[in-house]
Amino acid sequence: MALLQIQEPGGKQAKPLHRLAVGIDLGTTNSLVSTSCGLRVETLPDSEGEHLLPSVVHYRKDESPLVGFQAKALLVEDPLNTIASAKRLLGKSLAELKSQHGYLPFEFDNSRDDGAPAILTVAGSKDAIQVSADILSTLVSRAEASLKGALEGAVITVPAYFNDAQRQQTKDAAQLAGLNVLRLLNEPTAAAVAYGLDSEDQGNVIVFDLGGGTFDVSLLSLKRGVFEVLATGGDTNLGGDDVDHVIADWIASQMSESTGIEIPSQARLLQLANEAKHQLSDQKVATISSEAWSVKLEESTLKELTADLVRRTITSCRRVLRDAKLAVSDIDNIVMVGGSTRMPLVRDAVAEFYGKAPLTNIDPDKVVAIGAGIQADVLIGNKSADSFLLLDVNPLSLGIETMGELVEKIIPRNTTIPVAKAQEFTTFKDGQTVMTLHVVQGERELVSDCRSLAKFELREIPSMVAGAAKIRVTFQVDADGLLSVSAEELSTGKKAEIQVKPSYGLESSIIEGMLQDSHSNAQSDMETRSIKEAQLDATQLLDAIANALRVDGELLSEAEVGTLAESIKKLESIMANGSSVQIHAATEELNQVSSEFAAKRMDLHIANALRGESIDAVEKQAD
Amino acid sequence: MQSLKSNYFQLFNLPQSCEIDQEALNDEYRKQQGEVHPDRFANAEEHEKLRALQLSSYLNEAYETIKSPLRRAAYLLALHDIDVEKVDQNDLSMDLLLEQIQLREKLDELPKDESALADLDMLRAEVISKLERQENRFAEFFVVANYEDAKKVYHELQFLNKLRNEIDAGEELRLGY
Repeated sequence: MALLQIQEPGGKQAKPLHRLAVGIDLGTTNSLVSTSCGLRVETLPDSEGEHLLPSVVHYRKDESPLVGFQAKALLVEDPLNTIASAKRLLGKSLAELKSQHGYLPFEFDNSRDDGAPAILTVAGSKDAIQVSADILSTLVSRAEASLKGALEGAVITVPAYFNDAQRQQTKDAAQLAGLNVLRLLNEPTAAAVAYGLDSEDQGNVIVFDLGGGTFDVSLLSLKRGVFEVLATGGDTNLGGDDVDHVIADWIASQMSESTGIEIPSQARLLQLANEAKHQLSDQKVATISSEAWSVKLEESTLKELTADLVRRTITSCRRVLRDAKLAVSDIDNIVMVGGSTRMPLVRDAVAEFYGKAPLTNIDPDKVVAIGAGIQADVLIGNKSADSFLLLDVNPLSLGIETMGELVEKIIPRNTTIPVAKAQEFTTFKDGQTVMTLHVVQGERELVSDCRSLAKFELREIPSMVAGAAKIRVTFQVDADGLLSVSAEELSTGKKAEIQVKPSYGLESSIIEGMLQDSHSNAQSDMETRSIKEAQLDATQLLDAIANALRVDGELLSEAEVGTLAESIKKLESIMANGSSVQIHAATEELNQVSSEFAAKRMDLHIANALRGESIDAVEKQAD
Repeated sequence: MQSLKSNYFQLFNLPQSCEIDQEALNDEYRKQQGEVHPDRFANAEEHEKLRALQLSSYLNEAYETIKSPLRRAAYLLALHDIDVEKVDQNDLSMDLLLEQIQLREKLDELPKDESALADLDMLRAEVISKLERQENRFAEFFVVANYEDAKKVYHELQFLNKLRNEIDAGEELRLGY
């Protein structure tokens, strides 16, 4: 029974219950929070009127940490207790971090068992999850003060390329901040959501996200309120910072040509470069001056300087089209995200490649947060159930190690999630009772080239001959992109499963590298794979024959044993360094030579079985 | 959405046939996904969330199976108790093997740089037209319930599909993606 609403006569109609939910763009440099204010979703400012919250946290002894502009101001003064760009530490080990960044201005906590990077501050040891949680808490307080109520849920955005570990740690940070996570949303997808609803678009949309240090491109299909991610790609080491660097180098070279100029520090050069870049967002010529010296930078010169960077973004655009099996003409809209897309030369290059002008009417710094806010409003239940739905894909293939260190892909990349896929495997040796399942992520065919996510064992498999046991392995990826794996032996129903939560994840440049490697190495992988497979077949046959000889060797004459031994020897020597074709041929030969023996064994065992004696018993006697 | 046990064609209200109305499939998929997707249950009880995860995963698997001509063919045969995983050597004719060897040799002999792109396009067009012809043959056998021959054609489709993927991979390699 529905509850009756009591209304004051002549009073306003009671407002339907509006549940408070926010969208959060947890960025590397800046973070934002947004919420639905009536018809529109808007980002919320702090008490000073600032929408952007610098993602910087300053830790103090016996006092709560400072977050945002106040913390950012202390970066130079107190670098050991002030942490910026914590997002880059999420899902990484200290070892990975050190090998990639060289010098880091922190003292790390070496007592952590999990190898995760934690920074020693006056307020104790802080890892990326805690720093992220402090940023999230600040945004939550801001939203609760502005909305005058407690939040019931949040949608948090993550880069499309974030792997399982990085997504999990983002969720952990939210939990630590006391947030109920409704959904982790890919950043480019959030941007498309922002535009999709505002302009009611249909068709195929490219989201081009060029931030300070990373580049992401995604292809989405929008139709009747359903957003479907068809493919994602990008370059994790490409962004506006690279543009600053090429301009800084150019300024330095201009300075060195004029006499009597002392070239300033790299930091000062980068500052000059950044100013010039911003001038060129709405002017054709920028004036760069340092003390008495000055030079003009024309847009055409900047275009030459950045030609290579821009070309790299366009290469990723091409690749995403290929992955989705679409042509340039199939693209209806291009959404621009990230401060670097304010550069006219970037917009021009994108417009030229797609043959149409990109959408730029939402602030490219806020568009992701706005999309997250819209999604939060839907998920918390403020919008009716027939409003839009978002279908996402998994960015990297997931698979399992099979014999010979090969990867069997279970869920290929760009598969729509959630997804569950099952595949049957079998035992490799007679009497094998334990199977180790090694879960990996990546595009290459060899385990050593992919990322190890987890290892677990299925035990108590009933003892059978090789190949007789049936083990079904099921991969389940949920809507947030998190994986769980289970294995079941089908005759006994014995089960083992694991929620994949690796202690730390992949450096995103490694993911990028893995994607590229998979293509450039496809050829050599294939030959390696066929050799490994041939070796495997050979090993299995050799094992079977050795076993048979041990049990029923007396069935053969001395001459027969000799012939067999010769073929075995031949196969063993070819196996070591022959080609796949040679190994196959030798295996086939041994198979022929041993077929007589196999027939004799079969006859004997059938005869024994008919006598009422089990084969098992015969084998035991022979032992 | 119907129960997890229902046949994929029934699930999407489509006739059980080799040719499907792609638009109708897409519409029905999106409509049902709109009902069962975990996002619709973001705020629900744990057991409802779990059910949404299972239904939505099942729907995705069904959709992928019906959408792809190759997977659809295997599924149709499976509905008639034909297991395409069991390959009978007699199913593979000498002509088929010779043709495959020729096509593969063509692919292998192409130069490993951008100069091969035009030839790759031609080879792909050839493979696609063969695929279309075999898809038609599959349908012809299937309609008259000749599943044995349909299965043989399925294996040809498998070969051609694999070759097409290799052509695509070869193109990416040469474009330096």
